[in-house]
Amino acid sequence: MSERVISRDFEMAHLFEIGVYLERGGYGAARQALQLKPEEIVEEIKKASLRGRGGAGFPAGLKWSFVPKVDKPKYLCVNADEGEPGTFKDRFIMSHNPHLLIEGIIITSYAVGINLAFIYIRGEYELIAQRLEKAIAEAKEKGFLGKNIFDSGFNLEVVVHRGAGAYICGEETALLESLEGKRGHPRLKPPFPASVGLFQMPTVINNVETIANVPYIIQKGAAWFTGLGLPKDGGTRLFGVSGMVERPGVYELPVGTPLRRIIFDYGGGVKNGRKLKGVIPGGMSAPILLPEEIDVPMDCESVAKIGSMLGSGAIIVIDDQTPILEVLRLVTKFYSHESCGQCTPCRLGTSWINKIVKRIVAGQGRKGDIDQIERLASQIKGRTLCPLGDAAAMPILALVKKFRQELEAQLTH
Amino acid sequence: MPKITIDGQTLEVAEGTTILKAAGQAGIHIPHLCYHPAFAPEGSCRLCLVEIEGAAKLELSCSTVVRDGMVVRTQSEKVKEARRSVLEFLLAEHPLDCPICDKAGECKLQDYYEAYGLFPSQFREVKEKRAKLVRIGRNLILDRERCIQCTRCVRFLLEITKTGELGVFQRGIHSEIGIYEGEPVDNNYSGNLAELCPVGAITDLDFRFKTRSWFLNSRPSICPLCSRGCAIAIESHKGLPRVELGQRVYRVKSRENPAVNQYWICDLGRYSYKYLDEARVEHPAQVVNGRKIGLSWDKIFIILSEKIRGLLIRKRTSRLAIVLNSALTNEELFLVKRLFQQELNVSRIIFSDPPDDKGDGLLLTAERTPNRRGALALGFELKGNWEELKKDKIDLLLIFASHLPEAIPLSWLQAEAVNIETKVLFTCRESNLDWLVDFVLPTAPIAEKQGSLTNIDGRVQNFKPALEPWGESWPEWQILVRLAREVPVNFRFFGSLNSIEAIQQSMAGEIPGLISSP
Repeated sequence: MSERVISRDFEMAHLFEIGVYLERGGYGAARQALQLKPEEIVEEIKKASLRGRGGAGFPAGLKWSFVPKVDKPKYLCVNADEGEPGTFKDRFIMSHNPHLLIEGIIITSYAVGINLAFIYIRGEYELIAQRLEKAIAEAKEKGFLGKNIFDSGFNLEVVVHRGAGAYICGEETALLESLEGKRGHPRLKPPFPASVGLFQMPTVINNVETIANVPYIIQKGAAWFTGLGLPKDGGTRLFGVSGMVERPGVYELPVGTPLRRIIFDYGGGVKNGRKLKGVIPGGMSAPILLPEEIDVPMDCESVAKIGSMLGSGAIIVIDDQTPILEVLRLVTKFYSHESCGQCTPCRLGTSWINKIVKRIVAGQGRKGDIDQIERLASQIKGRTLCPLGDAAAMPILALVKKFRQELEAQLTH
Repeated sequence: MPKITIDGQTLEVAEGTTILKAAGQAGIHIPHLCYHPAFAPEGSCRLCLVEIEGAAKLELSCSTVVRDGMVVRTQSEKVKEARRSVLEFLLAEHPLDCPICDKAGECKLQDYYEAYGLFPSQFREVKEKRAKLVRIGRNLILDRERCIQCTRCVRFLLEITKTGELGVFQRGIHSEIGIYEGEPVDNNYSGNLAELCPVGAITDLDFRFKTRSWFLNSRPSICPLCSRGCAIAIESHKGLPRVELGQRVYRVKSRENPAVNQYWICDLGRYSYKYLDEARVEHPAQVVNGRKIGLSWDKIFIILSEKIRGLLIRKRTSRLAIVLNSALTNEELFLVKRLFQQELNVSRIIFSDPPDDKGDGLLLTAERTPNRRGALALGFELKGNWEELKKDKIDLLLIFASHLPEAIPLSWLQAEAVNIETKVLFTCRESNLDWLVDFVLPTAPIAEKQGSLTNIDGRVQNFKPALEPWGESWPEWQILVRLAREVPVNFRFFGSLNSIEAIQQSMAGEIPGLISSP
């Protein structure tokens, strides 16, 4: 296996304790960063081509540079909601190495001029939340958080906030609403969170894995990072491999590793020697890929080029014994269940499609149902308030397009 | 100022204008449901999507601010398809109960389906079953099947009344509007919710199932119940045989007036309209031995003018006393001033207004009459000094009580009745006062007459009749003009005052501040 960065020390016992983390050189990057000028850090992250690991793949350095240099409180929100089905990477980072995340938070906050950071964590991650709280307390005791960190004059507090189990709260603006104590409804953009975010203040929102990369980039430099991955998409990614695969799990591999290699070389291939039917390459909202498409390098642009997305790097393997109708059922059920209900096409469209699919599954499928699903999904796509509408429509459209024959065959009436 | 092109029309609009508003300025209506000009754009109904040249997707017109050189299309196939699609989604789960829905005829969903939809339904699934009769406030019923989740109601209560009684509960298709347990919508603006609801999800118990909106005549007026002077519409019909309820007025709605009440009216102004139809004084009458004997107005004027003439001849007009109230219009108060103060030298003029109540900090003021500012501007002292009336003998007492006979102290009249030769009550409402006077004469309330009122901020507002006068009611200004001519007093002056406009013209010369700027 190639060089592991984030997961380098994951096998070490008690890495989550600050003593062990310090022995491994922990908080060195933060100490180093706080001697730099904030702009230098932003510049370095930009050069490293660190792209967001949460789903959209937006360049992190660029996002930071959008924060206006105004004399207002600014906030960092670490998105640890990890709700995308198939995604289970951030929990590994936080449970094995919470201090890495905290160190990344210190550097990011310093770079953007933030004194209060929030970790918005999925409600189900109870143990991890406790571990984070403990790690924050340890860091504070050592003086890595709190006032005058490393004698730099920089102050920072970190607060862990647990979500209440809604997928929508992983959408950055719904996350902000939820964090403010309101119903998790996405906000209209613009304004973007970088200028008007949490409590109306400039806010940076980054995924856990994105932030966890920051200390290493500071320590080893942007060139090293892009060398690991690609010039326009640096570093490694934690690919979560699940589904009908021999060795499911999280694999840290360079950005750009071909999907085929991840499934067959690392994941051990399709379970029980069965044949591959399709792969969802980036979490449930990513359009499914056919077996002939899996030579794609796993970086944001390459996957987008073939009409899907790298998303959260969650790879779901589907074998030839899995009915596509079942995949469609799970996708539509999930999105209709998780639609926040705020905007019309998503609220009513996902539910309508779900009702049709349920009917087909119950053996009541009628001629024209598949066309109807396709029509409705295309009426959702590009028309909703937040990206969740697209997240629902795209996988449905891909399933219908790529497996129409199999789906049509299920229509009994 | 940015220049934009909408559907081929190029226009310049102010910096920061949204596409929806700019289109409005060009006379192009962009359909919308969640957007309301009083609130920040919500962007959730997705009906107002338009095509912007160069943009990859359709964009919201309610929230997108125009940029110089922007080319917008609101009628392209793409836009029409998106509108149809939003309507299709909304109608999929919407019940087809328009025939029994109070909103029918003024429902946005209905109107937009007519204008932009007209497709056959392709929804073949089972509709969600939801509660159709949820009492969310004193007068408010929520039908969750009809609700389209525009959240106008929620935002109204958060942003305008700041009481926040309603919220969105559940998620996705199960999203529903609701109150928090045991805390119904309870504020003086609750009635606005039924009006604000673009569909029939929130209906008003006061109006529910009483008539159909298309039977109603909607005419503008001004609310006379406090000194704010909110713009209202009085909606009435004479009653078709099948819906005869013995009432003309079915509801009072708010009318937009950015300078006074924006888009809202309070519940006091909305629900008090029954005084327009109930216990009205029908005909002029003389009260003799506890009975009302009908007289014609002609006869009344002969009697009254004779009395005044008698006082004039005997130089006893000081024996005349007048009771006014500040629900009278500027024009009427002006006529009183000219006729009684200036021509007849009457000095005993008092005001009998209802006592101040509590204002609510939003629209409702403490003053419960509409024209105190006008009366003050005309130089009246708004004192209700009933004792002063007794300083000298009264031969003729004229009480103008408008719609507020309760504001006249019954006990005073009871005690003094025998000492006053002739007591005349001008009012539109029956009350116990009727039996203590010699004449009860029906007048027209604000809703039935023309004139102007000066609100608490000194804003002079003209209004016209929204209803026909009840029975033989006369507006006070006509009564005063006629009386002056019958006596006659300064015929040259009063002889020419045949209309409100004529009165306003002569007022303009004397009291310029009382004329509204156009």
